[in-house]
Amino acid sequence: MSTWHMDDGLAVRYADGELNPTLAASVEAHLLACDRCRSLLTPRVPDARLDRVWAEVADAVDTPVPGPFERLLRAIGVHDHTARLMAAAYSLRLPWITASAAALLFAALASGETTRWGLLVYLTLAPILPVAGVAVAFGRDGDPAHEIGLAAPYSMFRLMLMRSAAVLTSSSALALVVGLGLLGGSWIAAAWLLPSLALTSLTLALSSRFDPRHCGAVVAMTWLFVVVSVNFREPSLAMFGGVGQVGYLAVAFASFALLFFRRREFS
Amino acid sequence: MIEAVGLVKTYGRDRVLDGLTFTAGRGVTGLLGPNGAGKTTLIRMLATVLAPDEGELRLLGRDPAGDRLEIRRRLGYLPQEPGYQRGLTVFEFVDYVAILKEMVQRRARHDEVRRVIEEVGLTSVSGKRIRTLSGGMRRRVGIAQALLGDPELILLDEPTVGLDPEQRLRFRELISHIGQGRAVVLSTHQTEDVSALCNRVVVLKAGRCAFEGTPEEVRALAEGRVWFSAEKSGVLSWRTGDGLFRNIGSAPEGARPAEPTVEDGYLLLLGDRTAGVTA
Repeated sequence: MSTWHMDDGLAVRYADGELNPTLAASVEAHLLACDRCRSLLTPRVPDARLDRVWAEVADAVDTPVPGPFERLLRAIGVHDHTARLMAAAYSLRLPWITASAAALLFAALASGETTRWGLLVYLTLAPILPVAGVAVAFGRDGDPAHEIGLAAPYSMFRLMLMRSAAVLTSSSALALVVGLGLLGGSWIAAAWLLPSLALTSLTLALSSRFDPRHCGAVVAMTWLFVVVSVNFREPSLAMFGGVGQVGYLAVAFASFALLFFRRREFS
Repeated sequence: MIEAVGLVKTYGRDRVLDGLTFTAGRGVTGLLGPNGAGKTTLIRMLATVLAPDEGELRLLGRDPAGDRLEIRRRLGYLPQEPGYQRGLTVFEFVDYVAILKEMVQRRARHDEVRRVIEEVGLTSVSGKRIRTLSGGMRRRVGIAQALLGDPELILLDEPTVGLDPEQRLRFRELISHIGQGRAVVLSTHQTEDVSALCNRVVVLKAGRCAFEGTPEEVRALAEGRVWFSAEKSGVLSWRTGDGLFRNIGSAPEGARPAEPTVEDGYLLLLGDRTAGVTA
């Protein structure tokens, strides 16, 4: 047991936060074991400082722990509040991303590197995943707090765009990694990018009038129908050639234009 | 706080609001009406989520068509089905809504979140996930988010549906507390809620305002029109626990008068429609 104790002067300086960190740490170690010094110190701590320290402790305890995607967004410079809103989308959480990665992996494995049917399966599936992700990222069914959000001042159009961009980016990154990893450096591994942009933007544009989940389902089914119809007799990658890519770009532009004109419908 | 003149809202052929006119000020105003009377449509309109097809609406002295953002900054809204993100804790969910309400400074936002959670008595479960809470506690979470930013106008759509009697009692305490000094509009089809909480009531019937006044005035509509008798009679009638019929309407032979309630006045206001609803 130490025979050393704080005097009045030291207690006041500690209470006012004026001690250097080394001395403050020594005092704190002593305070843990000494009733007498705690009694001396307690009335000398200003209430305002005590409240401030308490508020800091409470805030540290209450502050939500960000998930991996939210941490990633913060790491690339997104404001913490914006990252929180974006990361709340179901399709930006780990289970969805894992499921998407698994689906892509199986599709790429099924492609068998060279068979046209296999490649076609991969190129057909890759654009559908972001469509599905966007469809469940916002709207009445996709966002449980959607109705509350509609009556809040934050722009729902902005939130929808941010989440969609994040979903599109994460899905595309996955598809690129899987495609390049299993199909090699061929251009075909990225031939789904513009179809993906076209289908996603079309889903968003239609969502200004209809439920996003229904829009996503209709767009995905239509895409599948078109792919199967075109390739019914003989599998071909013509849909992903130059002319096709220009067509997808045109669809994307038209959809974004429609989306811009109907942006108020989201709020 | 709220001035509505001739509000009309149509979905296809269904005219949900049909020229509704009413006003509401400070205190708790009850929107009372049967299912399908247009209560939720009206509440969503007051929350600026829906726009009227026709009519004039002013909220907090402003036109929601032009000043929607400014109104949203000053109102709190608890929808009928709030849709909680159940994987979030109470603190996380209220914090999420606080961000939607443009509270971007983290420390100030967290202080406000703690304040509203304390106001609804949920501090002890602040760190619990919403999916682990009872229905009554979830409603409190809904109220907490509606209180963020100390709004001047609070809209609550059917907040007591599905709550057991004790939870409803606690909820009434909470609503009467938050109704002090601000305007609260409470949509309900429970006359007990109106009797217990509201200083003003608007009765909706088929999209129109059937009555506007105090709960006492609704009750007074049934003065001299509620009777106990051995025989069934009146517009509405049901057998009570002591074997007598409680009748609303004209007095049957040998009847003795009964003390009317707000529910009696409300049922009389609904008229023929109640026969289909309660028979």
